[in-house]
Amino acid sequence: MIRVHGLTKTYGAFTAVDDVSFEARPGRVTGFLGPNGAGKTTTMRVMVGLTTATSGEVTIGGHHYRDIPNPGRHVGVLLDASAQHAGRTGREILSIGAATMGLPSSRVDEMLALVSLDEREAKRRLRNYSLGMKQRLGIAHALLGDPSVLILDEPANGLDPAGIRWMRGLLKGYADRGGTVLLSSHLLNEVELIADEMVLIGRGRIVAQGTKESLLAGADHQSTHVTSLDNELLAKVLAERGVAVTAAGQGLRVEAPPVEIGRAAAEHAVVLTDLRAAEGGLEDLFLSLTSDTQRDVLEGSPS
Amino acid sequence: MSATIASAEPGTIDLGSSTPVPMGRLAKVELRKALDTRAGRWFTISILALVLVVQLIYAFAAPDDALGYGDFLSVAGGVLGYFMPILIIMLVTSEASQRNGLVTFTLEPRRSRVIVAKFLAGFALSFAVMVLAALIAVLGTLLGIATGAEADWSVDGNLLFNGFVLANVIGVLIGFAIATLLMNTPAAIVGYFAYSLILPIAVGILSSLSSGFADIAPWIEFNTAQTPLFTGDYTPTGEEWAQIAVSGTIWLVIPLALGIARLLRIEFK
Repeated sequence: MIRVHGLTKTYGAFTAVDDVSFEARPGRVTGFLGPNGAGKTTTMRVMVGLTTATSGEVTIGGHHYRDIPNPGRHVGVLLDASAQHAGRTGREILSIGAATMGLPSSRVDEMLALVSLDEREAKRRLRNYSLGMKQRLGIAHALLGDPSVLILDEPANGLDPAGIRWMRGLLKGYADRGGTVLLSSHLLNEVELIADEMVLIGRGRIVAQGTKESLLAGADHQSTHVTSLDNELLAKVLAERGVAVTAAGQGLRVEAPPVEIGRAAAEHAVVLTDLRAAEGGLEDLFLSLTSDTQRDVLEGSPS
Repeated sequence: MSATIASAEPGTIDLGSSTPVPMGRLAKVELRKALDTRAGRWFTISILALVLVVQLIYAFAAPDDALGYGDFLSVAGGVLGYFMPILIIMLVTSEASQRNGLVTFTLEPRRSRVIVAKFLAGFALSFAVMVLAALIAVLGTLLGIATGAEADWSVDGNLLFNGFVLANVIGVLIGFAIATLLMNTPAAIVGYFAYSLILPIAVGILSSLSSGFADIAPWIEFNTAQTPLFTGDYTPTGEEWAQIAVSGTIWLVIPLALGIARLLRIEFK
């Protein structure tokens, strides 16, 4: 269990993290989602004591990270897979971690096998690793001490689709065994695939949190794809209700939840052949919630 | 090793069976880190190789009456004095320059313990290098004897303690001071050579121009103040010890204290 309470971190006049509170619970994978520079990494650095908070606090399993003896045995951390001596081999990096935590060297072999780094790759120096291999090594390092809490900053960054699927399986299995996982990402798709719960952060502030379903339900804005036997009529009646309708492929894209369109169709006896929430509903939500924090102004994005 | 998920309240970590990482283990890991990269391992080997080369040259170049073991030991100590601080600089600054400090200080968030471990590892490594250099000096002496010098194995205790051990211990501490202050490998090495090569030359020039400055130089310049440790009878006078203490406070104690304070606080990125 990770509990972040009223966390604020300022650098001079700049507020990197602004009164952030959330929890990551055991048995769940919590995704920490936000655009670049939103404060995800700073929050995670405070969690593990690398950065001191200006105010507020973080407890992990009820303790401050600094108070946990041999913390590698309780909390697995991956903040930056490249932050290792480039001249060490993958195996040596894990061996140093294992030696610090007081683990047998057999644990290193187990972890290498778990993340599918073979013997030859383990003997290569980190500078010769691809980003995906570094991420696998970093995850192996985080899991070395068999921790009950995992804190991973952008762990899927650099992984190919198969790698992301592998990580999803790994982290789901870990959470199912009672572990707590907090992982950050700036890519909604990654988090959508892996996380059970989401915490959305923009410009240092939490803008939304909850499960994917609860976030979508609570969204005041939603799009629907609809196809009917009489699109023209349907478009007309929807437009009369003041709903934005645009033609999209064979059907229509309507800026309203599916239930409203179904109701309109029923009232006017329009036969629907396809009705579904538009893909990217969560993406729209993400962009709208963090729109004032985006660096790039997106054309046509809902505000 | 079972996961430490507590039974009391869900999500609470039970620390009952957890013990801190023992200092001996931390120090051993730091020693391993000093030697497990090409940079660290080859630099250590290079220092010893350089000692060997200098010994060979000295055996042939020096006059026969200066080929006792004490002479060779003094030469070896001089070589170590220049390069061992760099070994320490690499040991400390790589945490920031190679960024593995992120992991080091996550696995042991009590930074003061990591710093103590670094000192233990740094001194263990330095003493090992000193012992090996003293053994290489035996080879040099044998070579000197082979080229016609008289066997002289006597070693002045003051040379051994002041000129060889103490001077190098100070060098190691200087390495720590510069490393912790700058926390950047190239900058620290440049800084070290500015301190150990350029500064004494500048002081020497100023001293030759002004006798007044020559009198105060050993009080304010640490390299100059240390000269009595490894020259003459290797025994500084009371005044010379005072000069070492005063200039050492300026160039070693204060920078080291500031450096350690900085290392305890800086954000590893």
